[in-house]
Amino acid sequence: MRMLLTWLLCSLAAATPAAAAELHAPKNIAAGTDFSIAISGNSQGTFYLIGPATAEKRHIENASEISVPGTDIEKAGGYNAILCSDECAATEFYVHAAEPDRLSLLVHPSRVPVATANAISAVAIALDRFHNVVFSHADVNFSVNSNTGSLASHSQPANRGIAWIRLTSAAKASSTKISAAVGDTTETRVVEQVASEACNLHIKSYWDANRLVVETDPVRDCSGNNVPDGTVVSFTKTDASGKTTVDAPIKKGIAKAEMPVAGRARISVASGVVLGNELNVGGAR
Amino acid sequence: MKRSLRLLAVITVFFAASRYSAAQSSPAVEFNAANSAPRSVEDLTSQSVPRDYAFAWQNMEQALEENRPGLLDAYFTGFAKTSLQQSIKQQAQTGLHVRYTDHGHKLNVLFYSPNGDLMQIEDDAQLEMQVLDGSKVIQSQPLHVRYMVLMTPGADRWMVRDLESTVASPSGE
Repeated sequence: MRMLLTWLLCSLAAATPAAAAELHAPKNIAAGTDFSIAISGNSQGTFYLIGPATAEKRHIENASEISVPGTDIEKAGGYNAILCSDECAATEFYVHAAEPDRLSLLVHPSRVPVATANAISAVAIALDRFHNVVFSHADVNFSVNSNTGSLASHSQPANRGIAWIRLTSAAKASSTKISAAVGDTTETRVVEQVASEACNLHIKSYWDANRLVVETDPVRDCSGNNVPDGTVVSFTKTDASGKTTVDAPIKKGIAKAEMPVAGRARISVASGVVLGNELNVGGAR
Repeated sequence: MKRSLRLLAVITVFFAASRYSAAQSSPAVEFNAANSAPRSVEDLTSQSVPRDYAFAWQNMEQALEENRPGLLDAYFTGFAKTSLQQSIKQQAQTGLHVRYTDHGHKLNVLFYSPNGDLMQIEDDAQLEMQVLDGSKVIQSQPLHVRYMVLMTPGADRWMVRDLESTVASPSGE
């Protein structure tokens, strides 16, 4: 009878399959952190880890947990861990970004006219060291440093990883550095603030041998900044024969043109949308 | 006999073509730009962003299923492209691949930069994901996933620069 009972128990034990595996992973893990997935039940088979930048497969033999190195979970997002022997068990976990460690800074435009309201925009994206966007709270400190020495700064909380500001350009033409900082990381971009449209455009004329020379006074914008060399100034002559236009670039702050004149003529000047004074001149000498 | 064979060939080609066409079709995308700030989304942009996002998903799904990283070039850039390329490289090494059945995306614009050079979008996606080892399906599950997406304009299209799932749960939860 005892032998029969022993045989029955042994048969039952042999017939009972090993309990199906269950995987238990922490639900929230920071990117790049080593961690373990606990196994209960049958702890051997093929382990798969599927994630945003991961597709791993390895064999597991009688382990109570599966170690996952941080290098396997550097990309934030949802992951699936699967252990398959006769049947498969799976669990999901979420990897969130690590601490903010870098910034992506977009500043536009790179050249801007002076004294223009909200002309510059700066957008900063907070990233961790694996380039995941950091959605948790982060304060981004924007600062503006012009080469004339003036400094201004403003702290802006990032909303879903993004912080942004708008800036009005300075009245004086200069290059300015726009920086964004989070933690110990700072990113800087340079914006060139250039003179705006010409203001109070004025021309004068004189005779050089038999040619009439027309030239501007030093061309400046309304804030007194020199309009950059190369900016085109158009001189237009209207006489009995019709209308003639000469385009001349500003050189050393002044634009100059020679115009043949026979009889009476009217000469006007323009740069972009700005008009200057008009001259009435007599016939050739 | 010859006629039957011809008919069979026609049917085979028809099924192959319809299967190919189903694999190629881009997913349904709904687009909501009402919450866009600080810039409003322009009419033309509100047409091109969902169209290009749908193409991006179509290409990504095909790239992940067939382990073809070259398919990512058209609509992915930056870290999104790098991560997916890495994933496909590992899939090819291990003999794995992931198959998505895409039931559609609802896009909600959260941020559109003042200069129009960056858009942050929340995507509420309904998917079915199958993980295959060779030809054997080792996991199959419906998913309701929320993605945070960064898109930037390229020469003639919007490109996915970052694609990050924020919540992954079985469908219905």
